[in-house]
Amino acid sequence: MHAPASSAAPGIGQAIAFTVLSQLAGAAFLYFVLKAEGGWQIVGLLALLGAGFYLLERLPWITDYAMASMARVPLVTLATAAVVVLGFPFVVGSNTYVLHLLIVAQLYAVLALALNFQLGSANIPNFATGASYGIGAYVSALLAINFGLSFWLTLPLAALAATLFGFVIGIPSMRTRDTYLALVTIAFGVVVQQLLNNFDWTGGPNGLVGIPAPSLFGHSFADPLVVFGWKLPSQANFYYLSAALVVVAIITAHRLHGSRIGLAWNALRADEIAAKAQGINVAWYKVLAFAVDAFLAAFAGTIYAFYVSYISPDNFTFLVSVTIMTMVIVGGMDNIFGVIVGAFLLTILPEKLRAFADYRLLFFGVVIIGFLMIRPQGLFPQRMRRYGGEP
Amino acid sequence: MSVLLKVENATMRFGGLVALNDVSFSIDKGSVLAVIGPNGAGKSTLFNVVTGVYRPTSGKVLFDGADITGRPSYEVVERGIGRTFQSSRLFSDLSVLDNVIIGMHTRTTTGVLDALFRPGKSRREMAACVEKAEALLKSGSGDLYEQRYRPAGALAQADRRRLEIARALASQPKLLLLDEPSVGMDETETQALIADIVRLCDVHPDLSVILIEHDMQVVDAFPDHVMCIDYGSRIAEGDFASVRANPRVQEAYLGKAAAHA
Repeated sequence: MHAPASSAAPGIGQAIAFTVLSQLAGAAFLYFVLKAEGGWQIVGLLALLGAGFYLLERLPWITDYAMASMARVPLVTLATAAVVVLGFPFVVGSNTYVLHLLIVAQLYAVLALALNFQLGSANIPNFATGASYGIGAYVSALLAINFGLSFWLTLPLAALAATLFGFVIGIPSMRTRDTYLALVTIAFGVVVQQLLNNFDWTGGPNGLVGIPAPSLFGHSFADPLVVFGWKLPSQANFYYLSAALVVVAIITAHRLHGSRIGLAWNALRADEIAAKAQGINVAWYKVLAFAVDAFLAAFAGTIYAFYVSYISPDNFTFLVSVTIMTMVIVGGMDNIFGVIVGAFLLTILPEKLRAFADYRLLFFGVVIIGFLMIRPQGLFPQRMRRYGGEP
Repeated sequence: MSVLLKVENATMRFGGLVALNDVSFSIDKGSVLAVIGPNGAGKSTLFNVVTGVYRPTSGKVLFDGADITGRPSYEVVERGIGRTFQSSRLFSDLSVLDNVIIGMHTRTTTGVLDALFRPGKSRREMAACVEKAEALLKSGSGDLYEQRYRPAGALAQADRRRLEIARALASQPKLLLLDEPSVGMDETETQALIADIVRLCDVHPDLSVILIEHDMQVVDAFPDHVMCIDYGSRIAEGDFASVRANPRVQEAYLGKAAAHA
């Protein structure tokens, strides 16, 4: 691929070639990481990734060129992305472990996008995203087990319940800021987990068992998925479901980011007093960020509960919240693409580095400190908004 | 002419410190008031009381026929008071254009549900904002329009002051509060600023402006209504010539000995 050294607008042919090839290359890279076994393969792939980011950092025109290409042929970009996402399970085949990793990574991508409204857009350090995730999972599981509601009904109900919870944490949190706000959210996260652990009706530490698999048009998600004679393992159902949720999360993030709401969040991130002087109701916008975060996190929780069919308080610990926060910081605050990359990297890498499983919290700690020191803006920094199709 | 803003006996105490002491004044629609006084006299506190950053310990703020004493800032802005800050408070990691668009927050209506489910409405609103913002950036002195996609934090000092004014104007205020707009400007830039304010008042004959200024050149350009504050109290009010001649004003600026020398 021969690219011009300036950020001059690429020709249409070049743009198409670039978007298709770069997305295929990204998918191939993901495939090799997922398939990699043994430390050395992983180390080699990580080195390749590191070299890639080094290049992006040293040659900023690559990013500009990529953005310009994708903006030039948005339909081709979307179509390629759709083909890659839809086709991935066919390439993976019957490897259920890889599919499982992808489902978890996609759910984490949704959680990270949810937290990004707060941490990325509005600089609210919320350590309770794991709790919202858990509330979504428990509410939908309880509704399904006790009242026999279908998955599709529990999905919005759980989201509403978690949004209410978002308001409940959001409102008292408005009285605090920065570190104190972080402490309040940590406390909320711990309280929720302890409650789940101690109530009888949540199953206590044993959790909830036997959450029924969802079904759609008579097709149970517990059955293998057959497409045009191809038989995919039952995990593929949840793969596509969580992929759809990621799409919903991206659209939500994109629309809010591009509206006056995203701007208001950015304003209070930059300078709260100045934001007030522009007529922004700062307290309301902070609560709103909590609510949107909880809403999306609950969707992820619901899918998780129905996917694994067994949940316990251990799935929604403080560590989960820290993991989500790390994903946002590593990927790049307020950059949708970056946050998703962060979520995939930090879901898959710890799985591949099983030898260090006991040091997971240490790993996340080192990653956060390293990033905040070396590259505080994350792998993919926030980009200026452009209007009216200007480059 | 009708009164737009009326401050009645405003007193602001922070513990034992009296930042504003029983200050009363009013400003007519379409006029310019210059507020002068030494550093720490309470000028910025006055702005903070008017814009709802502080609730005055006692006294009242009446704006456009309504009592806005201690109302939250966002409501005050919505009612039509825009302001700039002494130490410029721009959203430095956002573009110049975004800064101005954020200034239109109270004049736009998209909520979360609109943004999510009626993206067309949200997009049209943003497009209209962009158009208005670009017009505002073009209208002042300097080349803010050409710099519209630069982060606000990268602007030169004079451009920052101009951008703050453009952002305040974006809220379509009836009353504009400018807190030392000429700080950090050189001679030419100050003249351009004066011309900007004069042009603004010509284009919007109903707009009232309160200026806090240390640069007497600027005050001299708007000499009709000047108020001097010292130690939180209003010590003189009138046209610039009479305020300048007032012995208490000279004392405040030059010290007792020099004033009587």
